Amino acid sequence: MDLVLLNLLNGISYGIVLFLIAAGLSVILGVMGIVNLAHGAIFIIGGFIGLTVAHQTGSFLLGILAGAAGSGVIGVLIERGILRLLYKRDLQQVLVTFGFVYIFTNLMLWIWGPFPKSAFVPSYFSGSIPMAGFSLPVHRFAVIGIGIVICLILWWVQDKTKIGAIIRAGMDDAEMVSGLGINLTPINAVCFLFGSFVAGAGAVIGVQLFGSVTFNDGMDMLLVAIAVVVVGGVGKVQGALVGALIIGIIDTFGRVYFPQIAEFTMYMLLILILIVRPSGLLGRSL
Amino acid sequence: MRLIPFIVIVLFLLILPSFAGLALVSLATKILIYGLLVMSLDLLVGYTGLWAFGHAAFFGIGAYTTAILMVRFDVTSYWITAPASLLLVLFAASLFGLIALRVSKVYFLLITLAMGQLVYGIARTSLGKLGAITGGSDGIGGVPYPDFGFYFSPNSYYYFTLAVVILCVFVMYRIVHSPLGYSLQGSRESEIRLRALGYNTWLYRYLAFLIAALFAGVAGLLYIYFNGYISPDAIGVEATGFLWLMIIIGGSGTLWGAFIGSTVVLALQYFASTVIPERWPLIFGGCFVIAVIIFREGIFPKLRSFWSKVINYGVVKG
Repeated sequence: MDLVLLNLLNGISYGIVLFLIAAGLSVILGVMGIVNLAHGAIFIIGGFIGLTVAHQTGSFLLGILAGAAGSGVIGVLIERGILRLLYKRDLQQVLVTFGFVYIFTNLMLWIWGPFPKSAFVPSYFSGSIPMAGFSLPVHRFAVIGIGIVICLILWWVQDKTKIGAIIRAGMDDAEMVSGLGINLTPINAVCFLFGSFVAGAGAVIGVQLFGSVTFNDGMDMLLVAIAVVVVGGVGKVQGALVGALIIGIIDTFGRVYFPQIAEFTMYMLLILILIVRPSGLLGRSL
Repeated sequence: MRLIPFIVIVLFLLILPSFAGLALVSLATKILIYGLLVMSLDLLVGYTGLWAFGHAAFFGIGAYTTAILMVRFDVTSYWITAPASLLLVLFAASLFGLIALRVSKVYFLLITLAMGQLVYGIARTSLGKLGAITGGSDGIGGVPYPDFGFYFSPNSYYYFTLAVVILCVFVMYRIVHSPLGYSLQGSRESEIRLRALGYNTWLYRYLAFLIAALFAGVAGLLYIYFNGYISPDAIGVEATGFLWLMIIIGGSGTLWGAFIGSTVVLALQYFASTVIPERWPLIFGGCFVIAVIIFREGIFPKLRSFWSKVINYGVVKG
């Protein structure tokens, strides 16, 4: 029983990190109809920038902000600088982001060298909380707490603010929204900004779980995020959260109980969802 | 008149080994193999409008099956390993196609990417028995040339590859210009209209997916005998992106563009990896971004319209 609870908490904290990665991917896919294949690499860059700042200054908060800002700026630069040139050409937009994966990965290797970047655990998150039969590091609870706060903010923006309403309307019928006199072009940039911003923050927070992050982890991260979006459904914060928690928990349990096939549990879930419900558990219809 | 450039190129390829060194012949062999692989992907991308992003996996299944059978299980007969490899490729493609064709466009791209990475993950895992068979991230090596009763040299294997590739191009050309090929292009342009006319577009796409995978498997077989070694890096998403770059540069929906693309990209990689190997990913990514923005249709359509102008000029003058 204790072991189940322990793994459940581990799974939830991993799922929260997955949510922070996948939320941006899901919103961009919903609004622009494209997938940002460089999203995983942007996540890693945010982690590297944020952890460098955190280790230099000793401030965790400053690290999160720096990582988020770094990722956000890169996301907006890609959207404004390149994707705008390929307006309405979905395939070309997706392919361009694929090229950036290798540009970013190699630049990171150039700047930071091939060594993994270790996590920054602030002193107030060190130590562990004893529970019935086991103890869990404080920083796991911190990850869950911070992640839930960010998730609630995103949810509030989506459902209660004007910009959220425009984004939702744009996903449903972009032509009608434009016809009503609302300019959707800045919305794309806003989605890229927020999506990348949250991913960058998520990297600095989430690396605490993994211990360290390597410059070429971007593709693996992207793949898990894709699985989350497919399972949860496209374009909704709730969908990304549900997908992330399911994948996080199942993956964690898989690693404990079936280590031989743990790498592939994610794919089995993905295939199952595609067969049963191609639009994802909570997604908009495709 | 229209065929003159192709005859010239085939003649050039036939006499190439007589004056080129070993490095150039081996590069030419690689270009032919990758050209075939890119052409099979182009059947999906250019003709059917399916954005497959896991295509290198089928290449990998073909190459890995032959390598595993020959090295791990000592099955030396080409007549057993080759059909077995292609059957496994078809089997995997028939499953992946069923799953991936439930969605289209960007979602199809995502699902095929995930499927490709699943194969990549299976090849890369070092756990247990599977790791011992596939060799994990080290890959599997020591595959000799196929045994047809005589010994292959790099030059004769080049001719063997050339013959197989020309045969495959011929078959692919016939497929593209058959009723099947036209209905694929029709379903790319307007799926609803084709369905209204009574075509089962899903079935045609599924067939195209299987055919493309089969040719990718043939390319994988040619590659494993040529290279003697296969590792997960040759079959993952980076490898698929490599094929996409070739399609973008050569021109999609053209078949011949595949060979122009593979020539340009592999020559670039050859020179880049001798001068600055550590910056190859940067060059690759940069080329990718620039090619997507600049090449709206690719090199081959431009060459073709140039050549038809040359012919028409002659006709008008004569």
